[in-house]
Amino acid sequence: MVRGPGSAVKLMGVAKRYADVVAVDYVDLDVKEGEIFGLLGPNGSGKSTLLKMILGLVKPDSGSVNVLGINAEENPVAIKAQAGYVPEVPRLYEFLTGIEYLDFTADLYDVSPADKRERINEYLEALELEGREGDMISAYSLGMKQKTALISAFVHKPKLLLLDEPLGGLDPRSARIIKDLLRELASKGVTTIMSTHILEIAQAMCDRIAIMYEGRLLAIGNMEELREKARLPGSNLEEIFLALTGTSDIRDVVEALMK
Amino acid sequence: MKWKNVLRLISVDIKSGRLIRGQRLRRYRESRVLQYVMYGGSCLLGIAAGLLVGTLYNGITDPEMKATLLLSAKSLFISAPTLVLTYSLIFTMMRQIQRAGIKASIQPPYWLPITWGEHTLAAILANLIGIQLAALISIILAISVVSIFLGEISLAALTILALLATAFLASATTEIFRVLQVRLTGAVYKTSGKAAIWVRFFGSILLFIAFYAVYFFFTSGANFLAIIEAFASGQNTVWFIPYLWQGMALFSFVNSQIVETAVFSLGSVAFLSALFAVAVTLNSRFGLYEPPAIRISIGAYAPRPSMWGRLGFSLSEAAIMRKDFKAFTRRRELMYFFVLPIVITMIYMMPLTRTPYFQALSIFSALILLVPGASMATLMGSMIIGQEGTPVWHLYSSPVTAESLVKCKYAFVVIFSCAVTLACSTVGILIIRPSQRIILAALIESIFLIVSLSAVSLRTGIKGASFVEIPRPRMIRPVESIINFIICLISAGVILAPLVPYIGTMTGLLDPLPQFYLYIALAISGVIAAILTYGFYRIAMKNAEDFLAKAEN
Repeated sequence: MVRGPGSAVKLMGVAKRYADVVAVDYVDLDVKEGEIFGLLGPNGSGKSTLLKMILGLVKPDSGSVNVLGINAEENPVAIKAQAGYVPEVPRLYEFLTGIEYLDFTADLYDVSPADKRERINEYLEALELEGREGDMISAYSLGMKQKTALISAFVHKPKLLLLDEPLGGLDPRSARIIKDLLRELASKGVTTIMSTHILEIAQAMCDRIAIMYEGRLLAIGNMEELREKARLPGSNLEEIFLALTGTSDIRDVVEALMK
Repeated sequence: MKWKNVLRLISVDIKSGRLIRGQRLRRYRESRVLQYVMYGGSCLLGIAAGLLVGTLYNGITDPEMKATLLLSAKSLFISAPTLVLTYSLIFTMMRQIQRAGIKASIQPPYWLPITWGEHTLAAILANLIGIQLAALISIILAISVVSIFLGEISLAALTILALLATAFLASATTEIFRVLQVRLTGAVYKTSGKAAIWVRFFGSILLFIAFYAVYFFFTSGANFLAIIEAFASGQNTVWFIPYLWQGMALFSFVNSQIVETAVFSLGSVAFLSALFAVAVTLNSRFGLYEPPAIRISIGAYAPRPSMWGRLGFSLSEAAIMRKDFKAFTRRRELMYFFVLPIVITMIYMMPLTRTPYFQALSIFSALILLVPGASMATLMGSMIIGQEGTPVWHLYSSPVTAESLVKCKYAFVVIFSCAVTLACSTVGILIIRPSQRIILAALIESIFLIVSLSAVSLRTGIKGASFVEIPRPRMIRPVESIINFIICLISAGVILAPLVPYIGTMTGLLDPLPQFYLYIALAISGVIAAILTYGFYRIAMKNAEDFLAKAEN
């Protein structure tokens, strides 16, 4: 299938149900090459399922998923080879050391020994894991595990990054490094689709944002377009999000709790 | 000490059994019928046993026999604490071993207003709940009922107190061992550095072997009772062991030695208190102990081309095989694979060694060459995918094809099983010394079995993989595991079938066959193994395609 000009990810009429639960409800999405795209939504709104569909991990019940010009259903392995993925809860092989784990994942992506060595060492140094790479992952803190998962997603120089809550547990310095790194990668044409609950990060980092609710895309666009959609000029992403997802009754909830 | 806190902690501990049973409760509903049935049953059993013995005793008219029976009953009362001590120690330790294997363990909630005394007491008492408690209830009720018939109520009361103290003593000892073991292994890991992995590896294997050795010792006949009897009759000679002071107190009471009774009773109470104090102290010092990080490699990272690469495996295939090797030598729950060939061979060989055929026919010695590798292939093949656990998302999300996955997993199982066969065969040949002809035939058949059973079980392993990790890694769904065992058994039977006439001639059941028949049988067996391997490997490949496409499950 021929992909559209500049499209890295194209979803058309994609739907997915789990028994009675609608995870994704006929979603259309077009993410451009080199774009940092944010997926926002309350818990259970279908963000993670959507990311998994893009990677070919979940087959849609209907619709088509095209990633980097490849049909996700027909050739998921080819997509996986060009993508880097960090799940919401990156469960790592805890019996491996950090370096053994990174060596293992780099091999899965066929990275040559020389490239592997150079890149892994660079990332270890940048994310301050140097000196701890020989420790078993079981002894790592949450942040260290997250850093390890992120390095494994970057190490094969993917064209597409699918990151589910990528900055969870990271210290401010490492979070900043990852944010800047994603910006640099975007300038070189790497597409990033990230799901996050930290709205400030999404607002600061993403070129465009999609807000999902109960499997549907409520709104999509840059900050200005979202403000227009929510009819909240000058508002921040939090206000837009709460207005669009119908969860703006926060004050009432807090007052009820205080009673 | 707040007793309510102790009771609450015991209640939490009981509920932790859900982890071991793997229950997933919804809406906080839990049927406790089974628990009530167990305790109710033990009550009924105890009362019934007491009534039966008491009625029999009353029915005896011969005064001499009655006196003998009374003496025997008193001896039983005296030895009861030793019996309870032994089984309480075994059961409480087994419970701790079971708990050590589960992923989620119970940690003392240090941020809550609970003292270490309360925590330790709750841990000791909770450790007794279950079969130990049910057995204790039975024994206590039986003693209570029978003592009415015997007219030995005061002795029974003292025995019951001694039994309760003994059970507590056993559980407190287990608690002390548990804390010390955690502290000790942590310290060993910390000082061992890179060698910590091998310390754990060999330590765990030794522990498993010791556990199975004890298991076989107790289950192989009258040894268990012999130990109890020896303890009961000989406890007078080892009076200085505080664990036997309860029995000594009863012995003194029966012999109307009031001073000795008081001394041993007070000594028991003092020992029990001291043991509890030690357990509390150890818990308060090491109870919140965090195991130190195991550091395996230090220095510059320098990847090298792997051995597997030179054998024709791709980078990703070699990476998965290396990772699996590390898993099998580092993950505690996978280490028992190294013990299983020994245990399974023991299970097969032990009954056979008692048959007259075994002594007469060296053909049975071929089993030691056949069984370990075949059983390893059957087990490991079925678990090699499920052992990935929750990190299986790496396989889903990385560009690993079904072909690569099956190739590297299959090769790993075959290589591992062959290594086990080699190790077990070497030991077996040195001990049993079968003929060269048998060694050759059995080794060839062993390879046939490994190659084909690995494919058979890998097929099931992929189809029935279970990535559940709590309470413990399940690796394969139970139904699929049974199916795998049956298919492997049938396959092994079919592969070995051509050798049946040859075995028949060796055992004298059939007329002698020409010498070359063995080679024909081996060739036919090889062809069958090749067909089975090809067929099941293809099915495994299809299963792997489905497996990778259904990552959502």
